[in-house]
Amino acid sequence: MSPSPSPAAASRVPVEERLFSLVLALLATESGLTKNEILSTVQGYRQRYSSGGDNANLERQFERDKDDIRDLGVPLETLDSPGDAGNNQTMRYRIPRGAYELPQDISFSSDETTLLNLAAMVWREGSLSGESRRALLKLRSLGVVPDEPIIGYAPRLRLRDAAFEPLSSALEKHLIVRFAYLKPGEDAAREREVIPLALVQYQGRWHLSAEEVDGGPGHGPQKTYLLRRIVGPVSTGKAVAPHLGDHAAAALAGLEAVWEDGVAEVQVVRESDAATRLVNRRGTERLESDSVASAGEERLRLHWVDANILADELAGFGPEVLVLSPPWLRGAVIARLERTAADHG
Amino acid sequence: MADKQQPLQARDKLAFLLSLVPWLMDHDGATVSAAAKHFGMTPAQIREAVELIAVSGVPGETDSYQHEDLFDINWDAFEERDEIVITNLVAIDDSPRFSAREAAALIAGLQYLSALPENADRAAITSLMSKLSRGASSTPSQVGVEGAVATGAIDAGAEHRAVAPDPIAPTLALIRASVEHGVQLELDYLNSQGQRERRRVDPLRVESIDADWYLRGWCHLREAVRTFRLDRISNAVITDEPIQHRAGDSDVRLPDVLFEPSPDDLEVTIEVVPSAMPLLADYIPDGATSVEHDGRIRTTVRVSHYHGLKRLIASMPGVATVVAPPSARAAVQSWASSGAARYR
Repeated sequence: MSPSPSPAAASRVPVEERLFSLVLALLATESGLTKNEILSTVQGYRQRYSSGGDNANLERQFERDKDDIRDLGVPLETLDSPGDAGNNQTMRYRIPRGAYELPQDISFSSDETTLLNLAAMVWREGSLSGESRRALLKLRSLGVVPDEPIIGYAPRLRLRDAAFEPLSSALEKHLIVRFAYLKPGEDAAREREVIPLALVQYQGRWHLSAEEVDGGPGHGPQKTYLLRRIVGPVSTGKAVAPHLGDHAAAALAGLEAVWEDGVAEVQVVRESDAATRLVNRRGTERLESDSVASAGEERLRLHWVDANILADELAGFGPEVLVLSPPWLRGAVIARLERTAADHG
Repeated sequence: MADKQQPLQARDKLAFLLSLVPWLMDHDGATVSAAAKHFGMTPAQIREAVELIAVSGVPGETDSYQHEDLFDINWDAFEERDEIVITNLVAIDDSPRFSAREAAALIAGLQYLSALPENADRAAITSLMSKLSRGASSTPSQVGVEGAVATGAIDAGAEHRAVAPDPIAPTLALIRASVEHGVQLELDYLNSQGQRERRRVDPLRVESIDADWYLRGWCHLREAVRTFRLDRISNAVITDEPIQHRAGDSDVRLPDVLFEPSPDDLEVTIEVVPSAMPLLADYIPDGATSVEHDGRIRTTVRVSHYHGLKRLIASMPGVATVVAPPSARAAVQSWASSGAARYR
């Protein structure tokens, strides 16, 4: 059962066989293989290699394969030949075993495996579904059998914002992005050019944390953009040096600080949809107020992170909610209700 | 929920091959069906992978893939008894690391699930996240989800703040306890017509979409499977009544989609600005026609009752407008103007 070297078989070597053979060959070599050695000897390339001829197509294939393998988390390393740095004909490729293998001291219990299965299930749609599928394959490789869950869960994060995919890919490659952003209350979207730092979901909405380009990496002011307000396509520019740090945690903490400072007081009809849902919202406090209790109402203090989204939500509750403060929120909700009434008159 | 079997892409197949080899090393003589069950694959996919592994290897000293440079398996055991016995190993010793994006997806997923009772042990979750980070081939990408904030997992530098807990966490804990002890859950629920009723429920499954959580359960009042939004549930308690219906019972049909159309649904024509279309996707029935009209999209939404429609439209002022039927327009008009009237 040795692989057929005949040229006729060349087109029949499946992609995964070529990639698998490349990983095996590079894992097995200590000193590394040159590009020419790879193309002329590794299964899937060697069948198409022409010795002394033009291998430009095959070289391009190898470049794409390298990217695919690295995307899977396989650390493909390049070593310059001594005294011949930068020459890509003498450069050697290898996969260092220590950087390839999961460290020996990392293991997962049944409980942890159960949780990780759930965590992967969250990304059933969108660009991270492939990532979580492959992460689970690697997890199963360790042989741990998850616990039978007590109750079934089907959690799901949605990636409906068209901007998510291009931003997440730019984030990965540290590329500058450009997009048109429509701020509420402005007539036209304005073009933004920023360095993406993190994508975070806060209160069900995706936000981009980014740095303005002017200052250079690590220096520009940081801003947060709501993905649903990005209008039209996201384009990418040049790569910048990665600005290290836990930007996702910082962005979430920043939004949480805004949320904490944002306070509104409302009066709601007891046991209405508004009362039930606003009380079940994180951070809502019931305020003592005998004067409204007799009228079958109660007062609540709410937290919010985006004034326009809050005003939209409160307007949806119609007469079940009366905004008490702040005054601008009162005005914003009145304007919304009047607009809806007029649009349907 | 059983995942649908999807055709694997070359990258998935490679990840699978690199994962299967170490597992087979630890499970000498495993059957094809055991491997299929463990990896969530079909037996045919396992056989195909094993056949590929068995003829793969390294070029070796001779650069010509000699027998000793290749994996080998016991072909008789494989072909006659469906058993997988690797007889020669090449290059691979251990499981591969996660990629930066794979680790990030799992870490963000764990953050998102922080309200689950299974996730209550924050120290254990933090240690799990750090293992994922260390088990990645490079620093996990910067993707985050709020849950971590809600339960205080994020350490914002020197600043330690007491963060408000997620109010759905106690409800999720009750649901789990109800199933664990095999007793029904009793709760107040505001139905889609706005009426509050005391319901007894056999929990079947918990589902979520972004920040919204749902309980699918057998409702003893309606004698059917119903979906309950967690933020519309109040006063939930565990009863002494034993659970009568469980997920997987033959009389329990749990639909795959959360929002199932009903023949009693009302169809309403609306106009909406194009950028807001994704917000309405759940309400637009399959096959509905959408026509562009003066920069707005005219389409159909399906709702169970005007009670829900008027709230939806009033929360999208200037963005979505009901065109027809007139009774739907009137319901929205009256809802919004009585809301505005409270301020006069």
